Amino acid sequence: MGQLANQTSTQLLAKDMGLTPQSIERRRKIVGLEAQDLVRIDAIKELVSGHVDEFTTLFFDYLSPLDEARPMLSNRTIADRARKLKREHLLAMVQSDYGTAYVEQRLELALLYSKVGLDLRVFLAAFHHLLKGIGAMVMKHHEHAPLEGFAHFMSLKKVAFFDLGLIVDAIVFERERIIRQQQDAIRELSTPVLQIRERLLLLPIIGVIDTHRARLITDSLLKSIRAARAKVVVMDITGVATIDSKVANHLIQTITAARLMGASVIITGLSSDVAQSLVALGIDLAKLNTVGDLQGGMEEAENLLGYRVVPGERTTNGAPETHA
Amino acid sequence: MPVPILKQGEILVASIQAALSDVDLAALRDDLADRVGRLRSRGVVIDVTALDVLDSFATRTIRGIAYTARLRGANTVVVGIQPDVAFAMVQLGLSLDGIATALDLEDGLELLLRTRNDGRVHRN
Repeated sequence: MGQLANQTSTQLLAKDMGLTPQSIERRRKIVGLEAQDLVRIDAIKELVSGHVDEFTTLFFDYLSPLDEARPMLSNRTIADRARKLKREHLLAMVQSDYGTAYVEQRLELALLYSKVGLDLRVFLAAFHHLLKGIGAMVMKHHEHAPLEGFAHFMSLKKVAFFDLGLIVDAIVFERERIIRQQQDAIRELSTPVLQIRERLLLLPIIGVIDTHRARLITDSLLKSIRAARAKVVVMDITGVATIDSKVANHLIQTITAARLMGASVIITGLSSDVAQSLVALGIDLAKLNTVGDLQGGMEEAENLLGYRVVPGERTTNGAPETHA
Repeated sequence: MPVPILKQGEILVASIQAALSDVDLAALRDDLADRVGRLRSRGVVIDVTALDVLDSFATRTIRGIAYTARLRGANTVVVGIQPDVAFAMVQLGLSLDGIATALDLEDGLELLLRTRNDGRVHRN
């Protein structure tokens, strides 16, 4: 069951990273892996697979004294799984088949590293140590033909760098996933555009406005103006604690863009602090139509649209009946 | 491609249907300036709904048309600026200062008819 879940999560990761058979082929080409490399790797296949346990131990022995590797090695189950995967990795490295299955195998290990938070620099150092071990063994085996041994080892090293590319990409991708999730969260929290009356929109802004969010606000506002055929927009910035020149600039851009589409914008809810800082910043507010609070803004907007709100007879329609 | 200019009562409607070359824009400017006087028009509507780009030359020409028409006695309304175009214009610092804008042709005509009598733009 657990095995199956891992299988699908690596497949998912491969898909998210855009690892198609074509892009894997491209990756092989980038490291320069060619047919003759496969022949050379085949020549040292027995040698590497014969000493696979030794090499695996080499990798983990290098990691074990390092504090940075403790999160992975201190947990017995994870350490065993990493060991098993690394052993499989070494065996697969000399199998001359570097397709989708091989890539998914690499991603599985990368996911594990990323889950336990293994630092890339630690992994790279240990991987280098492992390669050094393999290199030494290959060279020893080719004592009388060092050039040939070196060529064999370099072919294997291409595969190693192919793997490194995948693992580094996968770990970085996993890290960026968090950033993407946060961005999505911000996007969801981002400003709603509400229709209050026919051709009247309300845009309450709460929280910090940065360039990215300002762009989203402008985008959704302009689209809503078109969709709702809005003539007046009330932008309430009561929830914006501080305004600097950048934010003010964003707001002015939004307002100017809305005006280009034929909608006028009323800004409400400028606190005294915000008003003072705007004045101190020397921002030209002559073009802005500001009203003290949201209520005043709504009244102004209704006035612009020609609405007149008058208190009328209260209807009992739908109200709870008291004398049944 | 020349821009067709339609006469609707006292109002001229220039509906731009495709991206215009600078030459076409200049021709539109001359054409409108001429017709505003000849037809004694009181309003001009420039419809840019079909445009997905408004560059600095186009913006300047439209501004030129509006100012010229004003001097010849007609108010100009630019209608149908798309959301993306509006945003790009703001980012590029292109403005249509002093020129009325409206969402679409309908709103633009309404705005012109409302301002016809005193020549000043105001709402309700």
